[in-house]
Formats: sequence, structure tokens, C-alpha cells
Amino acid sequence: MSSHRKQPKSLKDISRPSEQLAHVDSLDLFPLPPPYDNPNDPPFKQLPQKTRDAFEASLDDTLVVGLPKPKTKEEEERLVQAFISGLRKLFTSENNWTFLQPLTLSMEHCARCQSCIDDCPYYEMSGHNELYRPTYRSEIFRRLYFKYVNPGVAGFNRMQNGDIELNWTLIARLLELAYRCTLCRRCAQSCPIGVDNGLITHELRKLFSSEMGITVKDLHEKGTVQQLKVGSSTGMSPIVVKDNIEFVDEDMTERTGIKVQTRWDVEGAEVLLLHNAGEILAWPDNPGCFALILDAAGISWTMSSDLVGYDGVNYGLFYDDVQLARIAYRHMEIAKKLKVKKIVMGECGHESKALGVIADRVFQGIPRETAMTLMADIVFSGKIKFDPSRNDFPVTLHDPCNLVRAMGVVEPQRKVLRYLAPRFREMTPHGVRNYCCGGGSGMAIMSQHNFMDWRLQVGGRKKFKQILDAFADEDLNSNSPKYLCAPCSNCKGQIRDLFDYYGAKAKSGLHYGGLVELIVNAMVDVKEGFINWDLM
Amino acid sequence: MTALYVLTWLAVSVLLLGVIARIIRILRMPLHLRWELYPVPHERGRAHYGGSRLEDVNWWTKQHNPDHVTELWTMLKEILLLKGVWEHNRPLWWGSFALHFALYLLIGVLALAVIGGIMVLTGSPAPPVLFAVIKILAWVAYSLGMLGALIMLWKRLLDPKLKLFTTGSHVFNLILLGAIDLTGLIWMIRDSEYAVSLTGFLAGLVTPTQSYDLSTVGYWHVSMVLLFFVYFPFTHMTHAFVKYFTYHSIRWEDTPNLPGGRLQAQINRLEGQVVTWAAPHINADGRKTWVDLVGETGEEKP
Ligand code: SF4
Ligand code: SF4
Repeated sequence: MSSHRKQPKSLKDISRPSEQLAHVDSLDLFPLPPPYDNPNDPPFKQLPQKTRDAFEASLDDTLVVGLPKPKTKEEEERLVQAFISGLRKLFTSENNWTFLQPLTLSMEHCARCQSCIDDCPYYEMSGHNELYRPTYRSEIFRRLYFKYVNPGVAGFNRMQNGDIELNWTLIARLLELAYRCTLCRRCAQSCPIGVDNGLITHELRKLFSSEMGITVKDLHEKGTVQQLKVGSSTGMSPIVVKDNIEFVDEDMTERTGIKVQTRWDVEGAEVLLLHNAGEILAWPDNPGCFALILDAAGISWTMSSDLVGYDGVNYGLFYDDVQLARIAYRHMEIAKKLKVKKIVMGECGHESKALGVIADRVFQGIPRETAMTLMADIVFSGKIKFDPSRNDFPVTLHDPCNLVRAMGVVEPQRKVLRYLAPRFREMTPHGVRNYCCGGGSGMAIMSQHNFMDWRLQVGGRKKFKQILDAFADEDLNSNSPKYLCAPCSNCKGQIRDLFDYYGAKAKSGLHYGGLVELIVNAMVDVKEGFINWDLM
Repeated sequence: MTALYVLTWLAVSVLLLGVIARIIRILRMPLHLRWELYPVPHERGRAHYGGSRLEDVNWWTKQHNPDHVTELWTMLKEILLLKGVWEHNRPLWWGSFALHFALYLLIGVLALAVIGGIMVLTGSPAPPVLFAVIKILAWVAYSLGMLGALIMLWKRLLDPKLKLFTTGSHVFNLILLGAIDLTGLIWMIRDSEYAVSLTGFLAGLVTPTQSYDLSTVGYWHVSMVLLFFVYFPFTHMTHAFVKYFTYHSIRWEDTPNLPGGRLQAQINRLEGQVVTWAAPHINADGRKTWVDLVGETGEEKP
């Protein structure tokens, strides 16, 4: 069998119309260890022809944005002009003061040395398909910058930076290509100059969204817009969220033997607890465990039932600064209204980064800290008694990029695991050099067309391999339980899909959950067996 | 000779003005959102694993005591040894290190020659040891530089990893740098008084009456260095100093916006700017500022 791989042969190929610029053949994919090394595994689904006919799908095997094809030449031309206008605005202070300096420096100083490329999991796992090189997307964008924003002396500029033809084919492909990168910034760590390909992707997404109104439905309509309107990107209104939490409290009380009661809208509480609301629906044990631990530690805490106040999600971080600021502003205002001493951000990497670091320079407000920090403090405070032998099963830790690489919150969670999980082992590499789950920057919630297949087979492949390698000393052919601690809702979404896709629970006993579940499972006052493998 | 002096002064002025203009432009760019990337070396006691002060409970109440020595040390290793390339792109490191290190040595040669020139002007003859050091450094620099330029040229043109991204400028830059090294080397081989000529030439820059003697290849060498001076500020090679900003102002810039700090006033000014993004959900109308827009949901009718 030979591979039918397709990939661009030059940067200029992106402007040349063709049916499909790149194709990842399943034979090119990086091999997985046994029992996941079956060469007869089905390749990922291909897009049906009618989808290709209806949408701008000439980039690769899949579709995320799924922009309908323009109906007329005039519409196409209008979109090209809008793109150029957005490109110029991206380099103005009034529209993009937020990232103008980092973006401009990344545009103008890349040495094209390619030191960053081998650190990208998408590139590596695709079998090094040129399309997914971190620099492919950036270099096209850079050439457009030098052509339309900072042209200098034309001939000299072309000699310095190369040329590119801007047409609709290029724009439509670049739009999709902005969603073949998780903004994990692993490549940025390895750039000797300090150029940031992840940031360039972020800015491209912003251009499409803020100027052209084009983005991914899951992030925008179903994400930030719904959150601002209804209160949560999950669609939960304040009444529904209270109902759901009531159910969580009852369930926790029954299973742990400890009365759990979430408090709402308590003025003057020490902590405003802000979860990613997805936890409440998909992993209700997580908010339940938080409630139990905070009570056991004697901390005065509250949740907010104001619109947006019970959902820490902020997808604006991934595509649009105005949307990012709108949501962060509401979070801050709610915390001020409640007069809490601090906001504690639940187990969600992007929430922590958006509110903890990025929004820091949008408004001065109530201080924020991550759940990892507070949990480590509680665990080692001596206020709660633990029996670590209750966690006597293999445990490994996934580091959410936003927590480690973007915030430097690395040690608290592993300190807890080293104490409470006697069979804890690290992945390789880990900490700030971790690999993304493959669903970063909101990709985990995107599954349109055949994207789920692509996201799991290509995007999440590196992480899945890392997880398998971490448990290589256990029997991966047995379903004896193994626990992946992933303290981030978005990562958990991706890992859930990965484990389902590969049947990893049945085959290898792979389970996943957060940090707080392990803490509660080890609490002496809690009924034994809180972690129930059959329910996971 | 006078023409070469004039050209030298012009080239040096273009170099300095170009570099200063770029630095001013960078410094005048607005404050950006926090976008640090860990590890941040000034995080005392935590930099080795990439931790930050955000690991502390109630971190804002604790004294932050940045470790500037480790930060400087990290920067030095990066600049002098190209640590990033060594770790992430070893096959390229050999050529790249040779090329870069040769440039640092040449800066050293130039600095020593300037000292020699000043001595000539003050009438105290430069000691032979100075000329000897200049010559040794120059030998190493030119040889290493040529080797580096050749390896890099070969990589740029033939290595599939780089080829796709090679532009005319990469080839030109390497040829120019290689030519500077080659002419320098030939000059040294042909002229045993290389160091004396060089210092004499530099002294003559302020005292045109000062006599000196440049061989033909010396002229070529100086001319190519001047070309490099004029060319450098307009190329991506400015990463040589812009790297300071990409590291200190972005990658390691973690100043929190705490009450009483210096940031909020700047932020207020930036948020007062009128936004012109055109997408409907932004709701910009040519008058609304960031503050106005952020208070909306984006669903309001204009
Ligand atoms: S982004 Fe950095 S590492 Fe990558 S090619 Fe550019 S300069 Fe080299
Ligand atoms: S940010 Fe991450 S996914 Fe994107 S190009 Fe860099 S390494 Fe790859």
C-alpha cells in the first residue's frame, strides 16, 4: 500500500485553485502503540462531494468554518476587499491595541529558520504534511502583511519577504487554516527570536471575525453570543443552572455521606466560584466536589446566578477581542456587585487564562486565582484528613496549555497528586513543555461535517500516544482502571471524545476526570469508593 | 579616500538612525494584553520548571521579587550560544552558530580597532598586543563566518525543511556576509599590517589628514561592510536587537495590573479609542469606543 498524501509544494500553491490542497492519508499518520496499532482501522471519513460543492472546502480533508461558496464574482470581490480592510485594521492601535506590538514584531522578524516546526503536534502527527507546518500559515500571512500593510519599496520588499497572490482561493483556505492550530503556543516556546505562530493564528481568526463577521458557529453564535444573551454557552438560563446544581448537591450528599449545599449570590463571600458551565452538565461530580471541599475547608464561598455569572467560559479568547472583553467585563462586574474578596476559576484552562491573565489589562477588578492553587493550599492546610491509599490506581496528569504555558501554574496540581495518588506518574514531556490535548482554542467543541474524525485522528493523536506511553508499564490490554487527571473542561471534552473513538475504556481501562474528584475520593470523611469506574 | 570617509559616515548614520527609528517605533506601540509564555526566567525559584507567582494562593498579597540575574543569564545564553536553535533545530545550529558568533567577534574586532584608532589620534601608539588580539579575533571571525555562510547557504538552498521558505534576501544576506568574511580573510592573508591599516582607517574618520593605507581588497572589504550597515536596518536581521523586545516586552512581560500600578492609566487611554471593525456583532458606528462596545452585548440595534 502506498500513501496518497497531498501537500502544498510552495507557499504560492495556496492561491492556485485546485480541488484540495492537502490530504493526510491514514498511512502517513504517526503510528500508535498496541493495542491501537491496527493498520486496518478505518481512515477518517472524507467529505461528500455535495459538501465540497456547497462550501469552501478546498484546503484539506475536513471543514470547520464551512463557509458557503460566494454566489457571484461580485460577492467574492466584496469579501476580498473586506479581508484587505481587516488586514489593515489589525495593525492599527484603535482596533487592535490589544496585540499590536506582539503581532507586528512577529510579522517583521521571523528568520524562517524553522526551529519551531517540530514542536507542533498537528504537523508531526499528520506525517509532517507541509500544510500544517506552524510557519506555513504564518508565512502566507506575513507576505500579505508586507504586500498590503507595510509595502515599503516594492521590489526590495519582494526580495526580502517573497510574494504572494491574494485572491479568494487564498482567503477561503486561510480561513479554514486558522482552525488547524490550537493556539497551544508550543511552537512559540522554541522560537529563538520570540516569534509566535500561535498568536498569528489568533489574529487571523480575529480579522475574519471582527471585520468580516466570519467565524465558527460553536464559538460565536452558540458560544459568546448565546452566553451574553442567555447566560451560558451551554444554553442554561439562571433557573436551569440552579435546578441542575440542586440535583448535583443531592447526588453528592447521597454518595459521600456529607451534606452538600451550594450557596448562591452571597454578598461579601470570600470566594466567588466560577465554573466552566459545561462541567455542570457533562461532569457534574466536578462542581459537586468543589462545593464539598470548600465547605470542608471552612471557606466562605458563593456562586452567582446572574447572567454570565455562572459560566466562566470565554470563547472570545480564541477569536475576537471585543467578545472576550464583553464576557470578562460581566464576570468582573458580578464579582464587584457581590463584593467578594476573590474569584476562583474552576478547572478550566481557557477560563483561567482569559480572566486571570488576559482580562487583567482590560479592567482592574477583583483579584483572581486558579482552582489548582486554592486546592493545593487546602489539601496541605491540614483542615481535611486524607487517606491516599483510596487512590491506589495508576494516575497521570494532562497539563492544560493555558494553565501551564500561559500562566505558569504548574506545580500545585502535581504537588496534590504526588501526595494523594500513590501511583502517580508524569507524561513525557510534561509541565510547560506539555502537548496540547488536540482540542485547544475551542476545537474540542467543534464536530461539524467530519471534523471530529480529523480532530481525533490527527489533532489528538499526540496526546493519546502520550497517555498510552504514560501507562506503558501497566497492561494496556486489560481494562483495570487507569486515571487521567485533566483539570480543564475543554481538554476533558477532547479526551472524552478520544477515549470513545478508540474504545480506550473498554480496551485499556482508561478513565479521565479532574483533580477535585481525586481529592474527594481520598477524604477520610467521605464514604469509600466515591470514584466509581462504572459511572465514569 | 575622502569619498570612502563620506560613505562610511553616511553608512554609519543610516545604520544608527535605522536602528534607533525601529526601536522608537517599537517603544511607541501601545501596551498590549498579557501574553507571557512560561518559563519566565525571572520567576525566582520556579523558572527551572516554568512556574509563576500565580501558583501562590492570594498571590497579589505577596511581595514579588524578580530574579534579574537569571533573566540576564538566560538572554546571554540565547544571544551568544543560540540555545533555542541548539535545543530545537540542532542540524541548523552548526552553521547558524558559526555565522552569528563570527559577527559577534567582528563587533569585538571593530571595538578594539576603534580603541586603537583613538590611541592613534591621541598620539599614544597602540601596543602590539592590541594588534595581535585584533588579528587573532579577525582570523577566527572571518574563517568561522565563511564556514557559517557556506553551511547556511547550502541549507537554505537544498534542505527541504528550509527551501520552501527561502527568499531572495536569504541568499543575498548569506552571500553578503560570506563576501565580507572572504574579503576580510584575503586582506589579512595579503597584508601583514591588516590591524594597523584598519585602526589607521578608523582614526582617519575623524582626522582625514591622518595617513593610512588600504589595499584594494581592504577597500572591497570596507565597502561591503558599509553596504551591510546600510542594508541591515531594513531587514529581518534586525531580530538581533528586536529580540530584546520580543523577550522582555512580550514573552517575559508579566506585570499585573494592580491598583496603584502604572498600567491602568494607559489602559483607560487605549480603551477610549474609537473602534472601526466592520462586523455587525461589533456594533461599531464610528463613534463608539472600546468602553462603549464592551458594555453592550453586540445585539443592540444601532
Ligand atoms: S517562527 Fe521563529 S523558529 Fe519559526 S521560523 Fe520564524 S524565527 Fe524560526
Ligand atoms: S500553536 Fe500549537 S498547534 Fe498552533 S502551530 Fe504552534 S504548535 Fe502547532
